[in-house]
Amino acid sequence: MRLVVDLNRCQGFAQCVFLAPDVFSLHGDEALLFSPRFDEAQRDRVEKAAAACPVQAILVDYFDEPTKGAEPHVG
Amino acid sequence: MTSGTLITQITDYANRADPYPLYAELRKIPVRREDDGSYLVSTYYEVRSLANDPRLSNDTTNRPPGYARVGQPEAESGLPPSFIFTDPPVHDRLRETINRPFGPPHSPRFLDGLRGELATVVTDLLDAFEGKDQVDIVEDFAYPLPVTAICKVLGVPREDEPRFHVWADALASSLDPQAGDDGQAKAQQARQDMGAYLADLIETKRRHPGPGILSALAPDMTPADLEATAVLLLVAGHETTVNAITNTTLTLLRHPDVLDRLHKDPGLAVPLIEEVLRYEPPVQFVPWTTALADIDVADTTIPKGAPVWLMLAAANRDPKRFKDPDRFDPGRKDNEHLGFYTGIHYCFGAPLARIELHVAVPELFRRVTFSRLLEDPPPYRANAVLRGPRHLPVAIEALTA
Repeated sequence: MRLVVDLNRCQGFAQCVFLAPDVFSLHGDEALLFSPRFDEAQRDRVEKAAAACPVQAILVDYFDEPTKGAEPHVG
Repeated sequence: MTSGTLITQITDYANRADPYPLYAELRKIPVRREDDGSYLVSTYYEVRSLANDPRLSNDTTNRPPGYARVGQPEAESGLPPSFIFTDPPVHDRLRETINRPFGPPHSPRFLDGLRGELATVVTDLLDAFEGKDQVDIVEDFAYPLPVTAICKVLGVPREDEPRFHVWADALASSLDPQAGDDGQAKAQQARQDMGAYLADLIETKRRHPGPGILSALAPDMTPADLEATAVLLLVAGHETTVNAITNTTLTLLRHPDVLDRLHKDPGLAVPLIEEVLRYEPPVQFVPWTTALADIDVADTTIPKGAPVWLMLAAANRDPKRFKDPDRFDPGRKDNEHLGFYTGIHYCFGAPLARIELHVAVPELFRRVTFSRLLEDPPPYRANAVLRGPRHLPVAIEALTA
């Protein structure tokens, strides 16, 4: 499973880091780091993080296939 | 309808159960001048833009004499305002310090580590429903969880709750524009009493550190700043999440189709909680901001010094931003609601509130089979800002393990 964060939208509210600290982290006060691939055990936390994002910048893709044709969806 | 009539109606208790038609009326003039010179902003893009505007202050001492100075302790109290009522750079310094033991980058796992304990609290509260055919969701479920959570976060003894409950209520009530001088006087007294209680506790923690962020913050903050912070977090942790949990329960019982969907797909709880924060936000509006300069917005100039009210609950139902905004739709995409505000004063406790909601809501509806609301609408608290039911009596059919 994969995710992508639109860093042009991200404003560093860091809600994702609170809710899924193994997948997202903050470097300094605002720069967001994240693991673009995550495993099933993190799915629940990643879903919560994506739904909580105040600027809806997190896209989650549950199908671990080539991106072409895959429909990303939010939360 | 004159604007004076509208704001009177919004704060009028008679309209507490359903203020949304009034908010719709309000949005017809996105930036509306009140007779007393205050401005009400009710449309999504205007509220969002002002919440991010450094020319808008949360320090009400910037208001000319005669206007309510929400959040400003009297000089003789010796207490500074809490960080929600400050501006940068003081605000940023305080919030950064307070965040250090609470969240990322320094403590990203602090709240995550509380999930297990909070789940146990939820289990115990629901176990106590056994043998009952009706409960009050507020007293029996929605209130005890956030109190326990904020006590754990701060390191405040849970058994002192009967003492600080009264102070927290008086302080929360004072945010209501209708509180008046009597309400403000009670709040000042409550702030003094709660401050004295917390100052003692902080002093003890300074000598004998324990769990919770007050111990962690004691070496890094002045006693007065930490006391003001502790008062704010204890009150905020007390009053708002209760409403979020109760509003979620009320909204679900009013939408049996959505409740059916939740039973079939428990994962729906996560977007559903966000939709409740849009549809019935626990903080309805922010009446404590002030223009620091003339601000042009939506063809209006808000003059320097004017009190500005940002109407979050009205903005959350702005049809220019949300399709079919009066519909409760947990499947709503791109739900950038303002339920936790936005900008630098975005709710500090939002992640804690979400963790509590994520733990409480799915489990409540998994274990309890509800038959119906016993009062609809339920009786509301007086407060127009921190709006929520005082009681939510429900009939229950069954409880599963």
